[in-house]
Amino acid sequence: MAPAISETQLNYARHVKYWRRNLKTLLPHFYTSNDSNRMLLALFTVSALDILGDLDAALSGEERQGYVDWVYSCQLSEGGFRPWPGSNFGELRNAGNKRWDPAHIPGTFFALLTLVVLGDDLERVKRREILAWLAKMQRPEGSFGETLGEDGFVYGGNDSRFGFMATAIRWILRGDLEGPYDGIPDIDVDAFVSCVRDAECYDGGISEAPYHEAHGGFTCCAIAALLFLDRLPLKPDQKPDGRLRGVTNVAQTLHWLASRQTTTLDEDDGLDTYNDETDTSETCHDAHTFVKLRTYPSVQAVTTTKGQPHSHFELQWVGLNGRCNKVADTCYAYWTCAPLQILGRLDIINQAPIRKWLLDKTQHLVGGFGKITGDPPDMYHSFLGLMVLAMFAEPGLQSVDGALCITDRAKRHLESLPWRKEITGDVDLQDESIRLAGGRMQVD
Amino acid sequence: MALNFICGWLSAIFCSPIRLLHALLPRLFAGAPSTSFVEASPNSKETRMPKFYHDDEAWADIEPLAQDDGGMHPLAAIAYTEEYSEAMGYLRAVMAQSEFSERVLELTEHIISMNPAHYTVWLYRAKVTSEIGRSLQDEIAWLNPTALKHLKNYQIWHHRQTIINALGSPEGEPEFISTMLEQDSKNYHVWSYRQWLVKRFDLFDKPEELTWTDNMIQDDVRNNSAWNHRYYLVAGRGGKLRAEIADREIEYTKAAIRKAPQNQSPWNYISGIVRVAQLPKSTLKDFALEFADVQTPEEVYSSHALDILADIYSEEENSKESAEKALDLLATKYDPIRANYWNFRKGLLEQPTA
Repeated sequence: MAPAISETQLNYARHVKYWRRNLKTLLPHFYTSNDSNRMLLALFTVSALDILGDLDAALSGEERQGYVDWVYSCQLSEGGFRPWPGSNFGELRNAGNKRWDPAHIPGTFFALLTLVVLGDDLERVKRREILAWLAKMQRPEGSFGETLGEDGFVYGGNDSRFGFMATAIRWILRGDLEGPYDGIPDIDVDAFVSCVRDAECYDGGISEAPYHEAHGGFTCCAIAALLFLDRLPLKPDQKPDGRLRGVTNVAQTLHWLASRQTTTLDEDDGLDTYNDETDTSETCHDAHTFVKLRTYPSVQAVTTTKGQPHSHFELQWVGLNGRCNKVADTCYAYWTCAPLQILGRLDIINQAPIRKWLLDKTQHLVGGFGKITGDPPDMYHSFLGLMVLAMFAEPGLQSVDGALCITDRAKRHLESLPWRKEITGDVDLQDESIRLAGGRMQVD
Repeated sequence: MALNFICGWLSAIFCSPIRLLHALLPRLFAGAPSTSFVEASPNSKETRMPKFYHDDEAWADIEPLAQDDGGMHPLAAIAYTEEYSEAMGYLRAVMAQSEFSERVLELTEHIISMNPAHYTVWLYRAKVTSEIGRSLQDEIAWLNPTALKHLKNYQIWHHRQTIINALGSPEGEPEFISTMLEQDSKNYHVWSYRQWLVKRFDLFDKPEELTWTDNMIQDDVRNNSAWNHRYYLVAGRGGKLRAEIADREIEYTKAAIRKAPQNQSPWNYISGIVRVAQLPKSTLKDFALEFADVQTPEEVYSSHALDILADIYSEEENSKESAEKALDLLATKYDPIRANYWNFRKGLLEQPTA
């Protein structure tokens, strides 16, 4: 049920309270099944407070240092991070048992970002070791996995999520420079781009593997990874350079992303209350909105007495789903809006009713966001809901980088680090293009 | 329920029974008896007493290794139950000394029941299984209900596929899939697994597979997963689609659209078939006109028909005005929740290369 809120607004104070509570007190025990994902929850916590502009106020200098040290306590002596302290054997860790405590792609990705948000300079990160390991985390066909076995076997799924995180780690540590750097081999960028191209679907979305169903999460991860690799389609003013690029039909992908907007906001919307379509209780009922609208005059034709365009009651709240004919879900607002922002086309969705849906329907009275209308909040949906509002430039929120899930402030901090500027070259645009050309020649 | 991506991301990323298979596979291939898969029902609501080790004689020789939470300021610290804390302490202790034994096998099961996302406990369990010479069938019998408790975990499906691959027969699997889809007809992992079965056992041309897919579409004409599976059966081997297959699919889809015109899945499907058959978009013009005509703007029965017409008109000579009209109708009357998108498309009409 929609909470009775007279005016749609971000309950700023409640969100701050929600995230400060997550930072300063123990998470309830039902997060135990996510114990091995603590680094992800860590990033969400500090990045949410950063987006709310509350990080400096929430942390004393000592606490900030303490959190930085905690992240570093998850760094392994051979490089890379574990995503939680639970597998750490402490002084008992040795060559024989370290395979039960391996470097982890998501753990490393979220640890680096958490350090960046906390203002650390990454000087204590074993950067060379991570980059050398990253190349071994790629399979011959181009996909990435989660951990590396002693026999060189890459464990984990082969969809775009690990590819997204692996390419992000590469971007954090060496920008979009291609080819070997300082004796460390690069990943096989072309092979990875091929994987992403092969997973494009007939409807314009991207799936986990060739011919699987188009899915918002995989679409987002794939497009963000192409961004990190500088392999998105060329813009009209860019000259062809012969490099393999992903998203082969941008128009169709935009069509698919725009089609994620839906008025099916909860399970009740999935009931065939009108008896006017051949469907079942599991189906999507945007059809009903359509059927009703058909009997109304057009939006532009009808105006209220105040001269404002009249809006149909059903259209005040618009959600986003992750697949065709599915219910809206807070997290898919992120998985849809982030690739649109990356492709430079966040303007093709109608932001006002999406904002209204998030704030009226899935924002929770105690702060945070739930998954669908009326759900209790959890850290995952609470963070991604906030990300979307920040991408929509909600007053009171800091601007964010949609692909990295951190504020632009945090991203600028990363880009300003001296060791990184040395690798990427300084920000002078002319130097940049010369360097890029040089990097390409190495690969070609 | 919508497939929750966090299940894919949060737990699935990390929960890796596939590790187990990696270690077990050589033995599977070496001589697994071809017994059929025993399916146990998920028993997720079981209530059980907490299990402790400190007062258990069998564990008296082990000094648990407490978690070092990395200083005074841990992030995302969880209020563990005493049971979980203690079991994890014993797990770290035995892992640190690489003990492989029956009691460790039970301990890993205990941990998995509380935190199936523990990504090395599976690998460790596989090693234990192999070291103590546990029967593979016993291990699989244990694994089945465990996997069924975590239905949205894609790696468990990957795991299942590895077992079936080793057994070499899809027997019983379609029935198992049907049971699964009764609970969630759009479960992403189940459909992905079904695709794997089709490829592994070359079921593309088996009439039963297409019939089953047709039944799924008949049950729910808006089940996009079922339409996607149909596309896989028809076009999933690559190359240009044969004309007679394309005709069959176009007619099939037309019938489905006539049942429910405002349904995006078959419209996407029919466009995909036209493209893979290398037919012109205009192939669908007359059909789309059944549901929408810019000359009679009050009688539109499908926004998707307008969408396709706008696309067709934009590529025709002297039809720019019709394309504009179709997009206007979408933006203002028939699909205003996407008004910005339709206006963006209108803007593209102005570009000479659009």
